[in-house]
Amino acid sequence: MAFNFNWSPLTADAEFYSRARDLLTKALNKSPKPPIIVDDILVDELNLGNVPPDLEILEIGDLAEDRFRGIFKMTYSGDAYLTLKTRVQANPLNTYLHSKPSFTSPKPLAAASSLTIPISITLSEIKLSAFIILVFSKQKGLTLVFRNDPLESLKVSSTFDSIQFVRDYLQRTIEQKLRDLMMNELPAIIHRLSLQLWCPDQANKPGESPADEVDEKGVDPFISPPDDPVDANGNLLDANALSELTLQGAGDAQSLFSQKNLLRLAALTDSHRTLSLFTPGIRDVVFRAWTGHGDRSEAVTPAMAPPSLSRTHSLPTGTSTTYTFSDTSSATQGYLPSRSASQINLSSTSPGRAVGTSSRSRPGRKKKTRVVNLRRNKSQIETMSEAETESETGSDTISEGPFSEPLMTSSIPEMEDEEDSLAESLASKLHFTNEEKKPAVPLNQSPLSQPPLVSVPSEQTSSIAKALENASKKLVVDSAMPKRAQTKHDSSSDSSSVILEQAWIMKMAGEIARRVYDEKNRQNNNPSGGVWEDQEAPQEAPPTYEAAIH
Amino acid sequence: MREFMDYVHSAFYEATGWNRDNSYAALNSTPDALLEFPTPRGLRLTLSSLSSPNFATSYELGSVGVVDGSISYLYSSVPLRVAIESRSERISLPSLLRAYRPLAPLTELKPKTSELTGGLDVAKSSLLYGRLYLPQSLLEALVVKRISPALQVQFSAVSGAHLRNGGTTVGLAQYDVGRYALEGLASSDGGLLGFRGVYNFGGDAEPPKVAAPAENGNHSERERIYGRFSTGGEIYYGTLNKSGGISLGARFATLPSHKGTPLSATLTVNPLMGTISANYAVVAGKHCSLATRMEFNVFSYESSWAVGTELWRKPLPRLVDDNYGVPKRSFESKLKWKLDDPEPVKTPKDGDPEEYAGVLKARMDQNLQIGVLWEGRIKSLLFSLGSGIDLRKTDKPFRTLGLEIQFSS
Repeated sequence: MAFNFNWSPLTADAEFYSRARDLLTKALNKSPKPPIIVDDILVDELNLGNVPPDLEILEIGDLAEDRFRGIFKMTYSGDAYLTLKTRVQANPLNTYLHSKPSFTSPKPLAAASSLTIPISITLSEIKLSAFIILVFSKQKGLTLVFRNDPLESLKVSSTFDSIQFVRDYLQRTIEQKLRDLMMNELPAIIHRLSLQLWCPDQANKPGESPADEVDEKGVDPFISPPDDPVDANGNLLDANALSELTLQGAGDAQSLFSQKNLLRLAALTDSHRTLSLFTPGIRDVVFRAWTGHGDRSEAVTPAMAPPSLSRTHSLPTGTSTTYTFSDTSSATQGYLPSRSASQINLSSTSPGRAVGTSSRSRPGRKKKTRVVNLRRNKSQIETMSEAETESETGSDTISEGPFSEPLMTSSIPEMEDEEDSLAESLASKLHFTNEEKKPAVPLNQSPLSQPPLVSVPSEQTSSIAKALENASKKLVVDSAMPKRAQTKHDSSSDSSSVILEQAWIMKMAGEIARRVYDEKNRQNNNPSGGVWEDQEAPQEAPPTYEAAIH
Repeated sequence: MREFMDYVHSAFYEATGWNRDNSYAALNSTPDALLEFPTPRGLRLTLSSLSSPNFATSYELGSVGVVDGSISYLYSSVPLRVAIESRSERISLPSLLRAYRPLAPLTELKPKTSELTGGLDVAKSSLLYGRLYLPQSLLEALVVKRISPALQVQFSAVSGAHLRNGGTTVGLAQYDVGRYALEGLASSDGGLLGFRGVYNFGGDAEPPKVAAPAENGNHSERERIYGRFSTGGEIYYGTLNKSGGISLGARFATLPSHKGTPLSATLTVNPLMGTISANYAVVAGKHCSLATRMEFNVFSYESSWAVGTELWRKPLPRLVDDNYGVPKRSFESKLKWKLDDPEPVKTPKDGDPEEYAGVLKARMDQNLQIGVLWEGRIKSLLFSLGSGIDLRKTDKPFRTLGLEIQFSS
């Protein structure tokens, strides 16, 4: 497998720089500026340079012709530079008085008179080192999120380089500001740029257009109110009430809908409920079913959608997982990749569950969310062995089911540990066999018609069977296991964690019991079950999807 | 419009014989009142009262999109009712609204007691003021205390959740002996320390023996511009943020006894920032004052200008007669075949409070931003109607528009 990253086409595009300049200028002037900056910040020069960044692939979560999801390690020390121009207030007393209440102002006569100085700042020798989550789809564009603080160092040169104090201050302030920009603004900029580059038709759609266009449409629905306006509760509004609403301002602006549209939407949702085959047509709407089969799992993946898009999605999973990436950025590095990777799994499978309610599950769908864990091969590079092991356990437990909280994994009582480690080893083995198998048969859609697996040695599978049997025996013997674990735990830890753990233990026990039961059933049905049968078990119930279904 | 509490506050200084204008901070007050008057925003209603000689309250309700308001109380240890007229239908408009204020006479030796305070010791006088803004929950507090006839201490504080450290306080000590006045201040915000002083010479600041022969001798001496020079400086230093500021200033202003055109000219220099500012205010006519300001920065070559004016308006003459021109003869005089006795011509009484009906103020600066303010009285309500206009934005020139209505009793 090989990737080809082209750095030059970006810079070769003549319009690219002007577009990027505009977007950057907008982003810089969006937030309220400190009082020391008295003018707009203009991006004067922008050059990405000729030296591309070094990319190291850590994980690839999803891969197809038109979409990609992966985690990279990026290091950059190129010759890109950026020149900004603005005007600053040179009188410190003036900026001091700016945000202070006038009642306690010292009211200087002329000591606070302003002196504005034009300043140009050049940022160069930028050194970056970051973990990047990259999600790309032809439909939704490119989403790029930094998991850690990417900025390592940079050189700030300005008009005031001769003054040591000013230079140090600028260096400090700009580094701070740039970190903020990288973490918060740059992903949005890149997303918008990518929309313009790869899918101009998407960029112009109202749902995904930049925020200003959304604002224009969202702020004042009274400019052209619908013919039959209703409020949020569906009550009809006459013209007087409408004018009242207009006078009251934007507070109720969102609660004005067209009655026709509401009825149509109601019919649409009802049609899902009643299993009716008739779907009412709504103009200017792209149904998810119309888009390509390969794109369907992408369509609901929230990380790719711009923030404004979450409103158009009716799935609750869309909003809940939107924040997954940004949240993980606050945690430690070594531990994180596996966690968020598994969360990617979860988030991509949960839409599968949601879709499954309307269209029955197909065997081919499950193959879509496979995990190609290249990280395992790179584990030698990792210096922090402890963090690595922790991440492994994290990924294993997550693949087990919904009890994916890493905190709980660390606080499992000893008695449970045997069961747990057993189940874990079982799961990880299942997991990896699953993984190994997938690349071997990439074209085959139905898992049932797969040829017997060659790559898994028979000793391993037989050991799995043994482990299962052991587990079942233990479970039969220790039917009161949760209780015991609880009493054991009462003495050592406080009550709240006990409750959590109890719940976890119950779930765990249920999970193991169910799995053992399934296994036994299968063995009972096929008494002649050998290697073949053992391999079937993991195939039909990959642990990842159990997590999503339950 | 000048707030009622500010009006009461100045009445306190008047009653205790403190000259508020003899300070470096007030060097520019006349041109500032003509060039930087605030224009109201939205609708604002104020209900104020000097309910007892020592106690004043004021309630304010405003609406700029959202409804807000404030409650303020003021307590003065000296009775204020003799010093000011608090009822809004009787307040003299020039004393409340006039931008061009003539210089107050300097008092070398401040009296220990004032006849206005009814023989109370001035040095014991104090003022307490508090104001709560709702719904922002911003609290303002002010304490003014005279320690000796020449020394006064002010302490003001603001408390608000949005402020850093929850609020700021400023302490100000003022020492005024007429010929010179010194002030020192300390602020909790950034540990700012400040010192400013003003020195007066010429005019009434000189000993009277110089002025006496001039008055007796030739009257041509009187024809010359007769006024007072004030010069001073200020210096600030923020101990925590290591920032500072300095400025020097000088002013020449005519005294009320000057027969010619009253004028006030100020020059301020900020040597650190290189800003030179010249202000000039003049009473151009009986009902009109003008002011200009020029600013220039020697480092950045930036310059700015501003002009401002105030126009006082007489009340419209009320037409008493039914037919214009020829007055009707009375029935008696018709019988006697003669004209009526000529009636005595109505002259405005000297103490007529309705000398002026209102004032129109306007200002403009180099950014073509115009402020217009019309203040006056209708019955017993004082109103202030104003707008801020930006001529640069031709599509939406009216940036602010506001009406303030004030009633006090």
